[in-house]
Amino acid sequence: MLGAHCPVRTRAPEHLQFGPAPQPGHPAPAMTAHSFALPVIIFTTFWGLIGIAGPWFVPKGPNRGVTITMLVATAVCCYLFWLITILAQLNPLFGPQLKNETIWYVRFLWE
Amino acid sequence: MQEQLQKLEVELREVTKNKEKLRKNLLELIEYTHMLRVTKTFVKRNVEFEPTYEEFPPLENDSLLDYSCMQRLGAKLGFVSGLINQGKVEAFEKMLWRVCKGYTIVTYAELDEPLEDPETGEVIKWYVFLISFWGEQIGHKVKKICDCYHCHVYPYPNTAEERKEIQEGLNTRIQDLYTVLHKTEDYLRQVLCKAAESVYSHVIQVKKMKAIYHMLNMCSFDVTNKCLIAEVWCPEADLHDLRRALEQGSRESGATIPSFMNTIPTKETPPTLIRTNKFTEGFQNIVDAYGVGSYREVNPALFTIITFPFLFAVMFGDFGHGFVMFLFALLLVLNENHPRLNQSQEIMRMFFNGRYILLLMGLFSVYTGLIYNDCFSKSVNLFGSGWNVSAMYSSSHAPAEHRKMVLWNDTIVRHSRVLQLDPSVPGVFQGPYPLGIDPIWNLATNRLTFLNSFKMKMSVILGIIHMTFGVILGIFNHLHFRKKFNIYLVSVPELLFMLCIFGYLIFMIVYKWLVYSAETSRVAPSILIEFINMFLFPASETNGLYSGQEHVQRLLLVVTALSVPVLFLGKPLFLLWLHNGRSCFGVSRSGYTLIRKDSEEEVSLLGSQDIEEGNNRMEDGCREMTCEEFNFGEILMTQVIHSIEYCLGCISNTASYLRLWALSLAHAQLSDVLWTMLVRVGLRVDTTYGVLLLLPVIALFAVLTIFILLIMEGLSAFLHAIRLHWVEFQNKFYVGAGTKFVPFSFRLLSSKFSDDVA
Repeated sequence: MLGAHCPVRTRAPEHLQFGPAPQPGHPAPAMTAHSFALPVIIFTTFWGLIGIAGPWFVPKGPNRGVTITMLVATAVCCYLFWLITILAQLNPLFGPQLKNETIWYVRFLWE
Repeated sequence: MQEQLQKLEVELREVTKNKEKLRKNLLELIEYTHMLRVTKTFVKRNVEFEPTYEEFPPLENDSLLDYSCMQRLGAKLGFVSGLINQGKVEAFEKMLWRVCKGYTIVTYAELDEPLEDPETGEVIKWYVFLISFWGEQIGHKVKKICDCYHCHVYPYPNTAEERKEIQEGLNTRIQDLYTVLHKTEDYLRQVLCKAAESVYSHVIQVKKMKAIYHMLNMCSFDVTNKCLIAEVWCPEADLHDLRRALEQGSRESGATIPSFMNTIPTKETPPTLIRTNKFTEGFQNIVDAYGVGSYREVNPALFTIITFPFLFAVMFGDFGHGFVMFLFALLLVLNENHPRLNQSQEIMRMFFNGRYILLLMGLFSVYTGLIYNDCFSKSVNLFGSGWNVSAMYSSSHAPAEHRKMVLWNDTIVRHSRVLQLDPSVPGVFQGPYPLGIDPIWNLATNRLTFLNSFKMKMSVILGIIHMTFGVILGIFNHLHFRKKFNIYLVSVPELLFMLCIFGYLIFMIVYKWLVYSAETSRVAPSILIEFINMFLFPASETNGLYSGQEHVQRLLLVVTALSVPVLFLGKPLFLLWLHNGRSCFGVSRSGYTLIRKDSEEEVSLLGSQDIEEGNNRMEDGCREMTCEEFNFGEILMTQVIHSIEYCLGCISNTASYLRLWALSLAHAQLSDVLWTMLVRVGLRVDTTYGVLLLLPVIALFAVLTIFILLIMEGLSAFLHAIRLHWVEFQNKFYVGAGTKFVPFSFRLLSSKFSDDVA
């Protein structure tokens, strides 16, 4: 949070104390900018290792077929589930509706 | 063992018989004593007392009897005394009166306590009677009447000394008898106790022998009646083991001629054997409960191992609850060799049998709980939220841009109850949360609007993929049974139908996710409307999702419309063409081999004297499969029904997968309510009472979590996941009309032993 002093600052009532507002003209620092490419790469590699490379390392035995099926199925299911979730949030059409106390809290504590 | 048991039986019988005899004796003696005692009172006069009168005493005077007087009169006076049953007394008396015409005098008195009848063992009331008569003839008649009425007659002593003697003798004998009886009972108890110790093992041995004989009964005799033939199914992989086991058995039992086996080809359908270990057994039971698979068809249990816990977890998705379930299942698994768990009752046994299922369900629930970002209804902010609130403030942006956007400042925030973030404002949305749902949604009031849209689309996508996978498994079935025409005429149209309609739906969903964003949100079309309009061809030209949409959709509809008649009529027409081109409609299937086992060790048991060489019985077990009547109508009807079921089922089953959304919503809301109603109440109280209040609140929260959320919701999600598998997934490819291969095994019997003895 930028500690710059802003000339215009409303005196807030006791129960709603706002922190110092950032300097005008500067957007708030993107502390939590999430890229899209990085998680995709990480997770694809992770589940790809389990689902595609894993079967090669299953030891020979009576359960080999079952274990390979389990690995592949797990990788497919979990990767798909994660992918759907992140795709659904990629381009949100609307944002969360917050109560004003929550807004103050989030602004103060998370950013 | 048989001789042992027989000896025991003989001994017991003897002892019991002796005991009975002794008891009878004892009872008779007791009766005699009673009789003596009572009849003593009949005779009031002393023996030494000399009577004064010499005539017959009057007949009604039946209490005074002076037999010495009678003797002096020279008449032969006889006495019959004994006991008679209470119910027969009047009849007895009447009979005596009628028969003897008054020449007898009967005295009787009731015994106070009821005695046990030696013969029947009942306890009845007795009457002691004393009959005095004179004359031989009357004596015989009286005796006969006594016999007739089943009286117990005892010799009547003539003098008092005799009576005293007899009484003393009786007393000693009674005492002796009591001791002997007592000892006999002790001995009997000892013998029985000893027998009871070994009864359990005897029962098991007998059961085993009975089961073996039951199996032997199913064998048949061959022509020479000297050996038994058993026709058995044996898995091909075990043929070698079977041979070895037969040899070993013949060797160990010392039979002169060993048993051997031959394989016979047959066209009957063998039973289905699926080998499982302790891990896969639970999942196989889930599939078998719907129907045991037909011979050699694809076994859905292999995939159910993962998809079932996964679909459960989608409906259950909570990190905390999943973790608790995982811990519980881990406890069961680590203690699976604990003896008490093996023999517990019904409900615990069900949990125990499903411990690996529970383990996987818990694991997957942890994962989906992470993705749903739901841990006891609270979200975890691991990576920082992608939504930035400060960016909504007008102070974060250059004044030049203020006019285009609705921005906040402190006054607005203070005066509005709720405000919505706008992702089109730059800087507000900074990228999707990398693992799961963004934690800010947990704080939002319109959380459900977002989650519903997300979960519904997710359910539909998962469902369509699951069902398509089912159809693809059907292709494997057709390949295995070498019915390639089925692939082209049934599976491919099914796939086309499914993918052209619902695959396109998935495409639209993903396209909308990727292409439409906050800037274009005002014109973003609703997927549902678009989907419906695909079929309705509305007159008005609405904005589609993408350019060229109508052409693509028309093409897809044409493909679908073409695949439907192929699905309906393709297979019957093809089979008709085949039939007309060939003489007999025979489906080429590989013949199954039937193993037969000749067992000649039975010869020694049957005690046959001349043992012949066992012949190689090669009965021709190949039963001719008759050329079936090619019934075109029936095939057509079956295929039409299957097609209609498939096509309509596609739509209804896809909608059925929405239960994934519904149950996960219910679970999340229940969890939220529990938190809000309980823990938050406990946490909001100030510190003086808070600590004391928090403890019972947390306890109540834990109990309710376990009972409502874990057990009730868990069972519910379990049931729905089963339903999704049984109906929506398996009716795409699974026939399930087989029988299970149940070999004779002592282990299967052992569960019955413990049931019977316990």
